[in-house]
Parts: sequence; C-alpha cells; structure tokens
Amino acid sequence: MSFLSLENVAKAYAGVPALRRVALTIEAGEIHALMGENGAGKSTLIKILAGVVAPDTADIRIDGKPTTIGSPHEAHRLGFRFIHQEFNVVPAISVAENIFMGRRYPLRAGVLVDWRALNATAGDALEKLGITHINPRQRMARLSPGDQMLVRLSSAFLSEPDAPARLYVMDEPTAALTRDESERLFRVLRQIRADGGSVLYVSHRLDEVMALCDRATVMRDGATVDTGRMADITHDDLVALMIGRKAGDAYPAAATTPTSGTALEVRDLAAGRLRSTSFSLRRGEILGIAGLSGSGQRELVRALFGDLPMRSGTVTLDGKPYRPFSPADAWKAGVAYVPRERRSEGLMLTRPIFENITLAQLRRQSLGGSFLTPRAEQRFATTLAADVRLRSTGPRQLAGQLSGGNQQKVVFAKALSGNPKLLLLDEPTRGVDVGAKFDIYTIIRDMTQKGMAVILVSSDLPELIGMCDRIAVMRDGAIAEIVPAKGLGEDDLLNRCYGRVAA
Amino acid sequence: MTIATLLRRYGTLIGFALILGFFWFNLPDTFMTARNWLNITQQLSMLMVVAAGMTIVMVMGDFDLSVGSAASLSGIVAGVLFAAGYPIWMTVGVALLGGLVGGAINGVLVSFIGILPFVATLAMLTILSGAAFVLSGGKTISGASIPADFSNFARGGIPLGDIGGVAVMLPNLTIVALVVVFAVWVLLEQTTFGRRLYAIGGNIEAAYLSGVAVRRLKLIAFALTGLSAAAAGLMYASRVASANPTQGSGLMLNAIAAVFLGMTMSEQGVPRILATVIGVLILGVLDNGLTQLSVDSYIRQVLVGAIILLAVAASSFSKRLRR
Amino acid sequence: MLTTLSKTARGLAFAAAAVVAGASGAAFAQAKVAVITPYMAQPGTQAYVEAFQAVAKEKGWDVNVVDTAGDVAAVISRIEDVVNQGVDAIVINVDPTQVAAGLQTAKDANIPVVGMDAGSDPLLATNVTSDGVAMAETTAGFVVDRIGGEGNVVMFVFDAFPPVQVRGAKADEIFAANAGITVLDRITPDVSDGGIADSRAKMDAVLAANPEPGSIKAVWAAWDQPALGALQAIEAAGRQGEGIVITGIDANPQAREEVAKGGNFEATVAQDFAGIGAAAAEAVAGLLAGTAPADAVTFVPTKLVTKENAAQ
Repeated sequence: MSFLSLENVAKAYAGVPALRRVALTIEAGEIHALMGENGAGKSTLIKILAGVVAPDTADIRIDGKPTTIGSPHEAHRLGFRFIHQEFNVVPAISVAENIFMGRRYPLRAGVLVDWRALNATAGDALEKLGITHINPRQRMARLSPGDQMLVRLSSAFLSEPDAPARLYVMDEPTAALTRDESERLFRVLRQIRADGGSVLYVSHRLDEVMALCDRATVMRDGATVDTGRMADITHDDLVALMIGRKAGDAYPAAATTPTSGTALEVRDLAAGRLRSTSFSLRRGEILGIAGLSGSGQRELVRALFGDLPMRSGTVTLDGKPYRPFSPADAWKAGVAYVPRERRSEGLMLTRPIFENITLAQLRRQSLGGSFLTPRAEQRFATTLAADVRLRSTGPRQLAGQLSGGNQQKVVFAKALSGNPKLLLLDEPTRGVDVGAKFDIYTIIRDMTQKGMAVILVSSDLPELIGMCDRIAVMRDGAIAEIVPAKGLGEDDLLNRCYGRVAA
Repeated sequence: MTIATLLRRYGTLIGFALILGFFWFNLPDTFMTARNWLNITQQLSMLMVVAAGMTIVMVMGDFDLSVGSAASLSGIVAGVLFAAGYPIWMTVGVALLGGLVGGAINGVLVSFIGILPFVATLAMLTILSGAAFVLSGGKTISGASIPADFSNFARGGIPLGDIGGVAVMLPNLTIVALVVVFAVWVLLEQTTFGRRLYAIGGNIEAAYLSGVAVRRLKLIAFALTGLSAAAAGLMYASRVASANPTQGSGLMLNAIAAVFLGMTMSEQGVPRILATVIGVLILGVLDNGLTQLSVDSYIRQVLVGAIILLAVAASSFSKRLRR
Repeated sequence: MLTTLSKTARGLAFAAAAVVAGASGAAFAQAKVAVITPYMAQPGTQAYVEAFQAVAKEKGWDVNVVDTAGDVAAVISRIEDVVNQGVDAIVINVDPTQVAAGLQTAKDANIPVVGMDAGSDPLLATNVTSDGVAMAETTAGFVVDRIGGEGNVVMFVFDAFPPVQVRGAKADEIFAANAGITVLDRITPDVSDGGIADSRAKMDAVLAANPEPGSIKAVWAAWDQPALGALQAIEAAGRQGEGIVITGIDANPQAREEVAKGGNFEATVAQDFAGIGAAAAEAVAGLLAGTAPADAVTFVPTKLVTKENAAQ
C-alpha cells in the first residue's frame, strides 16, 4: 500500500482545464521527482496537495484511506510540508521567528511566548540541515540570500509532535543555493528517505533530479504521461517525455557567418559602476556577456537601454551617434530589451496579450499616434505571436494566464514589434522550460539572420557557448576579454569569469 | 459562465437594479419619472465630473485626495474675481487654469519628486484649502458679487418640451457632466494616452521599460484631475450662486467611493469610466430615493457606506470562489 | 452570493420601510413638511428644529428633517427631491440666495418655503428670525442709560458680515444721537481664532492709550466674543474697579456666566431659538391653511440678559 495516492485529479479554471487526468503515487521512503514543462500542471497539482486550490475531481488516499485536503491547515495536519519557489521572508524579525512563521509559537503559562523553546526548536530545525553557522536569534535581514534560503528550507524541518511531517514537497529548492548548500540539502533529503519519509521534488535541473530521485512522474498538458524508476530512464528519454517529442539539439544551429557591417560601436562607455568599456558588434552577430553576478552586466545593458545615464564615452548605432536618455529613446532608435525579471519588469499580467505586445510601438500602431485601432493592433499582435510560436487562446487572453515560457514569448514579441536593430537580452531563458527555451533560441537565430545584432547576458554558460558568436567576459565592472564562443569549454569560460585564464 | 463569474462581473449592476426596483416599487408616482431623473443627473453632475477626473489617476493606481479642496478653491477664485468685476469668461478661464496648475503640482510631486500620492495630495488638500480660506477671508462670497449670468447657468438647460403639463429641460449641469464623461471615455478608452495609463496601472516598471513616458503621463493625468475638480467647483459655485471655502470638501470621498464601486464591476479590478458612472448613479439614486422616502439623513449615510462595503466584499468574495 | 445580495436588499427594504413607518405614523392625510439644513451640528439650529418639531407634533404633521452636513448644494438637491415627492411645505435654515435654484423649483411647484433664521428673500414666504437691529438697539440703549449719556465708548464691530454689520450701524446711530458720547475707537477684531484673543489684544492697546480712570466709560460689542476679550483686557490691566460697562449680543454660555458674576460685563441679548422654531411652525401652519404671512420677515422678540436673569 502506497503512502499517498492520487487518482483522477482534474481542475479547470474558468472552463480552461489546468489538470485533466492526473495520477500520482508516492511511497513511504522515496524521493519522487515531479517533472514537466512550465504550464504542464505541476504548480496546480502542488497547490491541490497544499489545500490552496480545490480540485474539481480527485480521489486522494493516504495509507489507503480516502482523504480530502480542504485547507492549508489540513494539509499541514496530514504531515505535508512545502518549500515554495516564492517563499518570502520577513527581514525585520529573527531567524527563529521566520522559521516559526504560520506555526503556533511555544507558550509559557498559556499566554507568554516561550522564546527559549522557540529558539531551541528553531535551532534543531537548522541543525537537521547541518547548519550551525546561523544563530536563531539573529535578525533575518543580516543573512546572505543563500543563508536566507536555508532558513526557509529549515522551516519545513521543524519538529511538530502533534502533526509529524510525512511528505516534503520541494519546488525548485536549489534555485538560489550554492553547490555546497545544495549538497547539504540533498543529504538531509536522503536522511528523510532513510527514516521512511517521502519527498516530492520539482526541479528543472535534470542532472540534479536524476542523481537524487528514486522515481519520476512526468506531466504534460495537464496530465501525467508516465511514471518510472529513475534507474531505467535516460536523460534524453526524460526530456522527450516532457516536451512530447524527441529531444534534438539543445540549441538551433547557427546560420552562416554573421553578416558584415558594424551594427554597434561602443567606445569608452562608463555608467554607474560600469568602467570604461569598448567593443563593437556586427549585424547578425550574437555577443554573449559572461561574468560573476554583479560584474557590470546589468549596468552595461541598462546604459545601452537609456535606463542608466552614460557618464562618458560614445556609442554609435548603425553609423549614427546613439545616446539614449530613457527607454523611450532606446525604442525609438531601434533598440529593444528583454528584461531579467519577466513578471515585474516585462509584463502587465492583468492586461491582454495584445496590449503587452504593442505597448512599445503604440505610436505606430495607432491612428495619427493618438487614437487606438484595436482591431489592427490585434492583427499585428497575432502576427508577432505566431512569429514567436506563442501558445494562447488569442490576443485578448490576459498575459497572467499564460505559462512562464509563453509569458516570455510575449516579452519577445514586444521586443521584436519594431524590427529592432539591436536586441538586448538579460537572462532570457531563466525559469523557462525546455520546449519554450528551444523556441526562444530559434527566434533569436531567426532575427540574427535578418541582420539584427544581439547582446545576450546570461549566467547559463552552456547557453552562452551554444548561442553566441563571441563572448565578452566581464570582471569588476569592465569587459576583461572577448573570446570566440566556438570550441570554448564550459570550465574554461568559468575560469575566465573568475579571472583564472587557462593556458 | 458560472454564478461566481456572473456575480463578479455583474454583481454591482444587479445590486443597482435591485435598488432601482426597490425605489420604483415604493415611490411608484415620483421615482421613475423623467423629471426625477433629470433632477438626479443635475444633482450628480458635480460629483460625476470629479469622479471622472479621479478615474483618470486611479487607472494608474494613484489617487488624488485634493480634488475637494481644489473644487472649493476654484469656486473661491471665481468669487473673488467676480467681486473684483472681471468678466465671466476670464474668471472661468482663470479658475480652470488654476485647477490645471494645482493638479500639475500634484503630478510633479508624485512623479518627479517621488512622493507617495497619499502624502502629496493630502498636503495639497491642506494647502489648497488654506489658500481658499486666505483668498476668501473665511467668508462666503455671495449675493450681488456673483453675476446673474453665472448663477443662471446652473438653473438653465435645453427645453425638452412638456411632460404632464410641466415644462421639462435638460439641465446645463447635466450637459457639462455628459460632455466630461464622454471626453474622459474617449481619452481613456480610445487613445494611446489612455492605453498607456492603463499600462502604468498594470505594471509601472514594465511600462517604463517599454518606452512609456511614465513621469510625463502622470503629470498630465494629475493635471487633468485637477482641471476636472476646478470645473466641478465652478459648477457648484454656479448652482449655489456663491462660493464658500469648504463647499467642495464632500466631493473627494464620494468620488473615490464611486470609482471603487465601479471597480467592482471589472474582472481585474480596473477603473473604467462607464463603471464610475454607475458608481456615481448608485450614490445619487440612494440620496434621491431615500430622501423621498423620508429616511433619516444619518441612516442614509450608514446605508451608503454599507452598500459600498457590500459591493466590494461581494466582488472579492466571488474572486475567491474562483480558486 | 445571490441569496446574500437579495437578503441584504430585503433587509434594506425592511429597514427603510420601518423608518418610513416610524416617521409617518398611520394617518395618510397628514401634511408633509420637510426641514432642510446644512447646519444641524450647531446648537442654535438644533434648538430651532426641536421647537419646530414640538409644534409639528401637536399639529400632527409628518416632518422629514434632512441634514446635509455642511453641503449647501445638497440642500438644493434635497429641496428638488422633496418637491418631487410632493411635500406640502419646506423649511430651510440656510442663506436663501445660495439655494435660489432649489427655491425656484419649489415656487414652480407652488410649494411654500419658510426661512428659519435664513435671511430675507423674495422666494421665501417669510423668514422667521431675531431682529438684529432691535438687539443692537437694546444693548446700545443699555449702555447709554448706564453711563448717563456721557463719556467715551469703545465699539467692536464686524462690517464684513451683513447680520453683524446692521447691529453696528444701529449702535452707531444711537451713540451719534447722544451728544455727550464720543466713540473712542471702532474696532474690527480678527475673528480667525474666534475673536476673543484679538479683541483682548486690541483692547489692551486702547487701555494703554487711555490710562486715566474714567477715560473709558463703556465697551459695546456687536457680539459676545469681543466683549469677553475686552473684559479680559480690563481685568488684566487691573481696571475692573473703574466701572467700565461692557455689553455683548447673543448670550452665549460664557457671556451669561460673566454677566451672572455681576462684573463689568453687564448685559447681553439672548435670541429666542425655540421661539424662532415655534414661530416658523406657526408660519407653516398659516400657509397650510391658506394664509400667507403678513411680512417678508417675521421677527421673534429677544430678551436682554443682565445679572438678574442671567442664571436662567
């Protein structure tokens, strides 16, 4: 008898099915991977387990007994613990209080908070993760982002005798962790497995999943397509199951050599903490920007986009002097931008897709620059949506209703709406699933073939090597060197980022 | 379409219909008459104009607390200029310009200096109100200093003929309100300006990065709200044939309430001008109907507050049902 | 949700019906009278309205009191509403020139409007009020009698506000008629803080300029606050023993208290608020019976308040 089994789980939002027929069984003492592209239905399934979303139909059994999960409180009582992707901390209060967030504080005499017990119990939870360098009494604000993530994680390991934890649901827990920290987490998860507990593990990092998990359930389009032992499956098979077709190359092949002619010429540019920087970019070329985070990548892109004042230096775009004072100037000059934070910087989630796509070109997509022509606008947006292979119910669908990958395609459609000469990409595939990633790479390739120059900032080294013609390595606020991407090894590039040039 | 969706979208409208039905049933002879409705539209014209202006800034997710005192001040400016013998066209022009400038100052404070709208417009509320007291010396400007042509405007209208032996006219104030509503509708729903304001309201950072001139648009939007407040102040002064430094103060909260009522009619909780019109009508019909039913004026206030709460609660409750 | 909404609507119906029933009683041939004011929060207005309602109750009228909480335009709106409702008479307590639009509507519908201390206006059947001129005459006459028609008098006036201006004009006239009386100073205090503080400061200056005992015989104030300020100045200067006579108008509680003490503040005049309310009701009764009031203004007698009757 399985610890947890779900059958016939279905859920529709406003008539649009998010889950159609989902079945999932989790045994006691296993780490079970839940795989699938963004939009496959993983989040909805997790929300159902957490009691946050009520399913339309579901047969849920725990230890063979039919059960319902009516509220987050019930989920907690059943022994479910959740580590969410967007799990917030309160910086102003102590580590221990953050760990106890949403739980009942231990009390003395029934009314007073027993701070000693609170701190001790929180300390135990930290220790379970092997964390000894964080004091539970410390204020959250004083911790590094990585340590904050560890504190969030440890809240799931708080011992609660009246509702012992039986299932840990982890959604991208390692997204903000270093390798060492991740390893520490994995050790704890393995210990949980050895103690007979269960883990449902969600991650886009396939290597991690394959190394850690015992079995995997793959979801696609709101349904579970297969469940199997990790030992019996290959990396490629897993990808094929997720995207529903055979996995090909991760990156579309580059076309012929970049077209000639200089698109962008940057001379001695300085802005913010960006120190004097020079480089040039040909039409149709993709220049990658690599470097440790905070080396000046963001400043370079923001300066070229008019969001950060240029302190000195000259920039020439297509032979004409270019000095933007605002993003509006940049768009006018033919420079487009895909920002790093899709939801907070890229999209108006509560507005229709077409309004998102045409926003930067509203002047041209209107009558005399002033009066809206919604039909023509929607036609224009529909064409662009097709160009970026957007999957939606139509141009009037709200951007917020799309999956992460499709949201990013909307951002791309907006960026391409004015046929830009220069496209600035800041982490364009972050949080985007495998299928949509490939689509986005294809879009970028298509555009370069039409002569567009691209600057690609990414912390994903294989992506830089796979997509770029040349890679500029930034260190300490300036470009340290520019190397051809072809034949560059990942280790080599990483070493260059650290400033240790391999022989 | 589920009941929840239906209610989310039409709950407030259904509530409005129920209120109308209730008054119609209880006041069979006087409520649903052309005369009464022309009355209502005239009574609501000032609130309508302020609420229309308020909708413009609320589309961006901001609001303006200074509209009431801006209305008072524009009435006082007009009164002072009238008393000094300036002609009507010049006086009206100066008062409207003053509203535009006051609103633009709000815009500068909010968008260029970066003060929260709550704080900036609260401070402007106090400043404008103080200015109205200073200019008027705290007194009501009335009587002979207000030209008859000015006060007659609020009493005039376009004759619509006789209904039941009584001459009926479309009041000038109603016409002004309709023109303002139409102008704001065109601005918000039919122009790139309006689309950009909605973009700012949707995500200000994304709008800025998409080339929307956020600061300039905010300034213009606040200036337009100030202009509408000044227009309402003049309408008020014309209706009461006088100017008092506090007479617009009731407009601000009612205008915000009307926009909120309207927002309950939108799935995304976005202000729309036509929904604001419904919000204003709900407030006005309650006043009109309950007065005719001789309901105590204090109970009326309690009911109005309760209805706003009910509408907002119903709309957020039905949103939760969707989870 | 639908049930919640309709339940609430039904609740509203019951609540409203109950209020209507409570206000209207059982009879249906009752006269309906609407009393509309923006100033219900002020003590005077409350006194008018209570006295009005007392009379109305005797006569069996259905009275609807509407307070617009300071909003004058809303007074117009509510007049329009009750005209539409078809009331038999309307009583207002607001400057009639400001609500002329509403008064015109009532006139067009042949519904009489009575002013309750509102101001005179041709659109009103009558305005029931205290006679400001008579009040000024009373106190100025009191001053003349007390000082025997001889000596210097300080006046506190406020000509910017018409009802107070007429008081000052009447006092001017009376003092001018007495050859022995010289008006030493005619002071307009700054009223932004209520008038007491600035009146005191102004009076301090007058006292300093006239240090001789007997150089000031009386202070006549067009309302109570300057009188109280002058009293403070005289007491602070230690000149309360000189027999300076102070008078005010309105008989506010603080003034009554001072008058009752028997000090320099010797007299003030009380308006009969209840009398105004009752007289307004009588005017309405006359109109309902088909008799128009004789005059555009109906004066209600006022009463001089001195040490003898101040405690009442």
